[in-house]
Parts: sequence; structure tokens; C-alpha cells
Amino acid sequence: MAVDGALLAAAQTPTLRLYGWAPHAVSMGYFQSIADFADLPGGVPLVRRTTGGGAIYHGDELTYSLATDAAMLPRDLAEGYALLHGALVRALAGVGVRCHRATEGRMSARPQDRWCFAHPVMGDLVTERGKLCGSAQRRERGRVLHHGSLVIERPELTPFVAAIADQTTPTAIVRKGLHEAVIREIAAALALRPYHGAISGAERDLAQQLQRDVFSNKRHIARR
Amino acid sequence: MRPDDLKFQQTHEWVKIEGDTATIGITDHAVSHLSDLVFLDLPAAGASVTIGESFGEIESVKAVSPLVAPISGEVLESNEGLSDNLEWLAEEPFGKAWMIKVKLTDTSGDLMDAAAYDAHCKAEG
Repeated sequence: MAVDGALLAAAQTPTLRLYGWAPHAVSMGYFQSIADFADLPGGVPLVRRTTGGGAIYHGDELTYSLATDAAMLPRDLAEGYALLHGALVRALAGVGVRCHRATEGRMSARPQDRWCFAHPVMGDLVTERGKLCGSAQRRERGRVLHHGSLVIERPELTPFVAAIADQTTPTAIVRKGLHEAVIREIAAALALRPYHGAISGAERDLAQQLQRDVFSNKRHIARR
Repeated sequence: MRPDDLKFQQTHEWVKIEGDTATIGITDHAVSHLSDLVFLDLPAAGASVTIGESFGEIESVKAVSPLVAPISGEVLESNEGLSDNLEWLAEEPFGKAWMIKVKLTDTSGDLMDAAAYDAHCKAEG
């Protein structure tokens, strides 16, 4: 989360980051109430995102984040989600996973449930089994952080989610193919040519500051 | 037609200055682009706001965006009913959906009149 925040603030070029979670943890949306998570199993870390939406249990998943100038995405929020989720539909198809963007309901509403994946909203990536990918954004100072979770194996804590493993065995080759497809399709959607890079010193320093001052700060976690 | 007694800034907040107090909200243009609004945080009375800095945050379509202060000062009052009635922002963005009232200390920000703001919105698309 801190690295995503640092990229939002400081990345000098559009940056796509792919990562996983160790340990597995729960992230709350920025406006969610911490009281709603008092019953989490002991030992499950809880963090608060600076992006919106509901809570996600981050188990075996591919987490992606895009940090870029707002001008790189459509001005309309719904169109921006459609652009990026459309890229993910194509990426998933490349590894044999069929899904589509939900066409029913509103784009967003106060959550019926604390869990992001419990009730898909319009534009979410879904399969017959349920929601496969949840995404959220933060926008500030002309910049956008868009990040989301593609579920690979269904977690015990959130049994209602769809998973890539419902349709294909997530072998190392499939996971590598998915990484490459996500990079290829998101870059194509933005009309950009991707290249591999590393976190800069400035980004790393800012991430450490954000980790200390925001994401590990009890006041931030308990702000609501 | 936007009220011509308001000033506006590029980040789509409006401000009405009356003597040494100001009322601040967000414009119809901002509301139309944000679409489905779900959450709002506003500062409490007594908090300081600073030109160009965030004075609150709003969530729509799972995107959290800051609300940027067009002036500096001390918050006198927040519109407490607004966060539970976000539909007011679409109904009366310049009226009952005001966000905060502030005792002014600095009005030196880059503000536009209604005509210039109209042109800014057209240019943005």
C-alpha cells in the first residue's frame, strides 16, 4: 500500500506494479468503519487503503496497481474503469479464464456488505461464480492511483468470491502468462509501450515515510 | 447558470465570500463527473483550512478524491447533514449542499468568476 501511495505521488512515468501479499491480510476501504472488522480471526493483519470501496482479504491473488497522470485515463470515472477492466478481461482470456464486466446495478453505492467482493456492482469483473476482480482508485493533484485484486485461489475467509482456479489450474506457467498478459493488455489500453523498471530511490524513501506515517499509524487505521 | 456572486477554482470548488467569512462547496460540473457519490468527510469546526490543501475527501465510484481549499481560514461550521444526504449535491450544489463555512485569513488563491469557470469546464470537456 505504501509503495502504491509513493507511486501515486512520485512516479515520473505511468507505472504498472504487480505484487502479492505476504502475509495474507485484509485491506479496508478508506471510508469503511474499523468496528466492522472486530471479528477478524486473530493474527490477520488489517490495513486501511487510501482508495475507496470495500474490504478485501488478500490471499493468493495478483494485485495490480497503476499510477499515472489523470489525463492518461478518460475523465469519466466509469469509462476509466471500463478501459482498465476491459484490458483485464482480455488478459484473463489469454490464460483461458472467461469473465465479463457486470452490466447490472449502479457503478457504486454505500456497500451492502463490508466485503468488496460480496455484492458486485456495475463494471466489476464477474464470472458465473461471482466477482473475480475488485478495483478502487484515489485521485489527487492531477494523478490517479488505480489498483485491484485478481483472485487466483478462493480464500477461506471470503468463500463467495470467484477465482481463476475455478477455470484453470494456476500453475507457475499460468501465473507467469497472466502477469505478461496483464502488462501487455493494460499497456495497449493506454497506448503505451511497457518496459521493466525498478522502484527509484525517491519512491522507496517516500514509501518508507508513508508506511511509517500513514499505513502503520493507528490513527489512520482507526480513522472511522 | 452558475451564480455570478461565486468564485471558482480549477479543481471545481466554489466559494462565496461575504465580509470575513466564506462558504465553500463543489460545483455541478464536479458532481456530474463524480456520478454516484457514496461518502464524504468534512472538517470539524475549529479546524484550519489552507489554500491549495485538502479540507476533506469524497468517494464516488470507489474513487477517493480530495476537496481542495480555495481560501485559508478557520472552519466555523460544516454542513453536518450533507454526508447522509449526498443527493443534495446533485440537487443544489450551490445551495443546500454547501460544505463548510470559514472565517477567512487568506483569499490570495487563483480564483475565477463564473464566465471564466464556464470556459474552463468547456475546455476540460
